[in-house]
Amino acid sequence: MNIENFELIYKDNRVIIENKPKIKEKLSKIVGNANVSDNEIDIMAYNKDTTLLAFNWTLEGKLTALPDFIVWPETPEQISSILKLANEEGIPVIPFSEGSGAVGGAIAIYGGIILDMKKFNKILEINDKDLTVTVEAGTNGMNLERYLNAKGYTGGHIPQSLYTSSVGGWIAHRAAGQFSSKYGKIEDIVMGMELVLPQGDIIKFKTIARASTGPQLDKLFIGNEGTLGIVTKATLKIWPFPEKRALISYAFTTFEDSLEATRQILRQQIYPAVIRIYDADETYRHFGHIENAKNKVMVVFVCEGVKKLVDLEAIITRETCEKNNGIDCGEEPVNHWFETRFRVTETSFAPTLKMVADTIEIGFLWDNAANMYHSVLETTKKVKGVIMMTAHISHFYPNGIGFYFTFAGIPPEEKTDLEFYQEVWNTVVKVVEDAGGSFSHHHGVGITRSHWMPVEWGKAFETLKSIKKLLDPNNILNPGKIYESPWDEGMES
Amino acid sequence: MGEILKKYKWMGPIIDAMDRDVKRLFMKNFRMRDKNFFPEGEYKADIKNLVNCMLCPNMCRFDCGTLQAEQKETMSPAYKARIGYYLTIGKIDPSKEENKAFIDLMYKCSNEESCKIWCPFEFSVVSLLETVRDDLNDKGLMPDYCKEQIDKLKKTNTIEDHNIYETYKEKGIENIETDGNDEVYYYIGCESMKFPEVVKANIELLKKAGVRFSTNLETKVCCGGPAFNIRDLETAKDFANRNKDLIEKTGANVVVSDCPGCVVTLTSRYQKAGIEIGTKVIHIVEYIKQLIDEGKLKFEKNVSDEFSKITIHDPCLIARNLNDTTSIRAILNKIPGLEISEPMYNKDSVHCCGWSGTAHWADRSLAIKEAKNRVNELKETGSNVFLSACPLCELGLAYGLSEGDKENIKIIDIAELLIKAL
Ligand SMILES: Cc1cc2nc3c(=O)[nH]c(=O)nc-3n(C[C@H](O)[C@H](O)[C@H](O)COP(=O)(O)OP(=O)(O)OC[C@H]3O[C@@H](n4cnc5c(N)ncnc54)[C@H](O)[C@@H]3O)c2cc1C
Repeated sequence: MNIENFELIYKDNRVIIENKPKIKEKLSKIVGNANVSDNEIDIMAYNKDTTLLAFNWTLEGKLTALPDFIVWPETPEQISSILKLANEEGIPVIPFSEGSGAVGGAIAIYGGIILDMKKFNKILEINDKDLTVTVEAGTNGMNLERYLNAKGYTGGHIPQSLYTSSVGGWIAHRAAGQFSSKYGKIEDIVMGMELVLPQGDIIKFKTIARASTGPQLDKLFIGNEGTLGIVTKATLKIWPFPEKRALISYAFTTFEDSLEATRQILRQQIYPAVIRIYDADETYRHFGHIENAKNKVMVVFVCEGVKKLVDLEAIITRETCEKNNGIDCGEEPVNHWFETRFRVTETSFAPTLKMVADTIEIGFLWDNAANMYHSVLETTKKVKGVIMMTAHISHFYPNGIGFYFTFAGIPPEEKTDLEFYQEVWNTVVKVVEDAGGSFSHHHGVGITRSHWMPVEWGKAFETLKSIKKLLDPNNILNPGKIYESPWDEGMES
Repeated sequence: MGEILKKYKWMGPIIDAMDRDVKRLFMKNFRMRDKNFFPEGEYKADIKNLVNCMLCPNMCRFDCGTLQAEQKETMSPAYKARIGYYLTIGKIDPSKEENKAFIDLMYKCSNEESCKIWCPFEFSVVSLLETVRDDLNDKGLMPDYCKEQIDKLKKTNTIEDHNIYETYKEKGIENIETDGNDEVYYYIGCESMKFPEVVKANIELLKKAGVRFSTNLETKVCCGGPAFNIRDLETAKDFANRNKDLIEKTGANVVVSDCPGCVVTLTSRYQKAGIEIGTKVIHIVEYIKQLIDEGKLKFEKNVSDEFSKITIHDPCLIARNLNDTTSIRAILNKIPGLEISEPMYNKDSVHCCGWSGTAHWADRSLAIKEAKNRVNELKETGSNVFLSACPLCELGLAYGLSEGDKENIKIIDIAELLIKAL
């Protein structure tokens, strides 16, 4: 056994499966021998998602968690049978798609069955009149987008993890793409869904532009993080591939000016597909080569769509930036962003210096946003060991924004990586929650953020927990996430 | 280290601003980085890049042929690198029988190198796995399915269990031995010998163009490509030296091969192994294009209806390793009335047929799944004639055909089509 050579991070409260061979046989009966494994090589492959701390553990030769089985179902009916079996036997089932989740959502902290959705990878139908695509939930984002592009469309949902995430993962985490100011976030894009509920019922939400048929129950499952149901299929909005793109960038002397310019743009109902504000530190990191951006705050815009509209959007965007003291930096910064946006190298570098890093993307209203930004920076930098705290803003609404903080630090000798990590997070969340913000804009809750759910939700959290209990009375679907926090011990609230 | 400092220049002010204790720890981690994670030792493995790969969020996963074939996380590029790292540093002991599956994973790659297109570090995963194979070989841990290939090379001088070049007579292939004064050495790949009609077609084309060439099948040996894949570099170099002699004897100005695997081996792989072939080596599509440009080959006839609508499958070795996506198209455009369709994944973003690299030895069913995926993509074009220019692709794609497909779909080499238009 190799696994004994690896320290296991999540080792407490593991489910004890009395008769593993019997369970394996039953799973094989459902999905076939080739679609079940308890081989070391497979269960090790599913020991983690893309939680940044897990990269440090990987390098140090540790395993984040260990599932008992991996299954690769191919039909909703098979998923239903797996869930029924899991309920009978009391075994956790953890949905897994591309494993790019950043909050531990797909990690089998108590062991159990990883239910990998990768074999649900067919693009079923494009409807040009309705502007929809129906797709199986395990389909990789880039493979979907490339397909749509080849047929003359875009899905408009382009997260930075496009290459390494799936439709089901997007829905599960209420994801947001980089082009979201124009095309919307995933909850604006999903039009219909098929799901398997924790006890095995298969339900469908009809594809419709809008309906008034009682509460919108489908929304409950967008952001359910694989705890209330497993998405097997979805119908998503699509758009004709943009006829024109305008690439615009402005540098601002103050963060406040950049916020004011973008807020005014949106107030005029101008929706550039991409808007990104980089604070001065991130401007130096990403646009250090742009002369006009020295010691400034860079803002990049991409307006896209029908030519006439793009031209108008570009004019208003430019005018508004200039009115707010913006300095035109031309197309180069935007081209640079296009060239580098998927080239992720930091995750390979930071762990080799034993650095602990993470991204904290929070939701905030416009009012007081600048103050909140400054106080997050100020308080976090005081945490011993923090060496970097920077931010950009990547998502914009007429009423608010999604901040994206990045921190990195070297845990002081008296602290473990995890303790340091939690201290930074506690600090940020406190500032954000005190100021009325939300602790996650689009990465979700998972394991790493569930600790703050009671603060975020208040009394409504009890309602949410009741819903979970109703749908999943045996708590077999993705336990240890959202509703309970395996990290509570030793954490300050 | 210098490279890191340059790339992470933006960290300068951050380091300057650190308080004393933190800076001390940071500098210690920086100094100890190699010792902590890239231990010194007798490794050939490219440990630093294995780490770069294993800590990447798998940004090339969508284009990894074996992962897309298997749809299991186990086949993902970052996981392969991670296992390579653990095997190298001994966290997983490669010498234990129970760990064979981990060793096998190091061979489950079809060398298509699409990953390289998306890699911020600009390597291909196979280039890392090969360095892990080097260490495994040094420890005497070459898997049996690789040993079998090496045995075949040694016994038959080809990658077949018999010397496939000796079959030329029964296959009706004309052999032209060199007089030491050739214009061209038509270098026939071992796998091409499985497609005698293709070889005959190429010979016909060269003759038609009036080229003075030889085939030298009496003395022909494999290029050594399989030994390079397996990383038995001793065997590989032996073949390289024998080929160098054989090529020099022909006096040819240019070696023209029908197998892109041979071209890549005779050029860049020999070079990396320190063996330089003085003669220019190119794939036959590039040469045919040249002949057309020089007016030595003309295609005047329409091909029969059966072959008039084709879809191109670019061999990944031509498109990505030899960086040539124009020759095939330039040639086909000269055939009157030919309807050419392009699959969605074409040119340098082509998907592999499954039959390159070591995957098809390590896990045949995996390679067949990859072939099936590619066949499905080609079928999307609606054309029933798949045209390629590589014997491995033609083999692989054939494995990907279902029983039903076999009745409707033809897989042909470009040469077979060209002689129909002469
Ligand atoms: C480099 C990088 C960049 C990123 N950029 C963005 C970004 O721009 N925007 C953004 O929103 N996120 C981003 N993320 C986070 C991540 O990609 C998203 O959360 C993504 O939606 C996860 O998809 P996945 O398929 O990888 O899901 P996984 O990680 O496999 O799973 C995530 C969660 O969803 C559940 N789940 C998976 N499939 C299903 C299903 N079919 N039904 C029900 N539950 C399911 C799992 O149990 C888990 O809780 C980024 C991550 C990385 C590593």
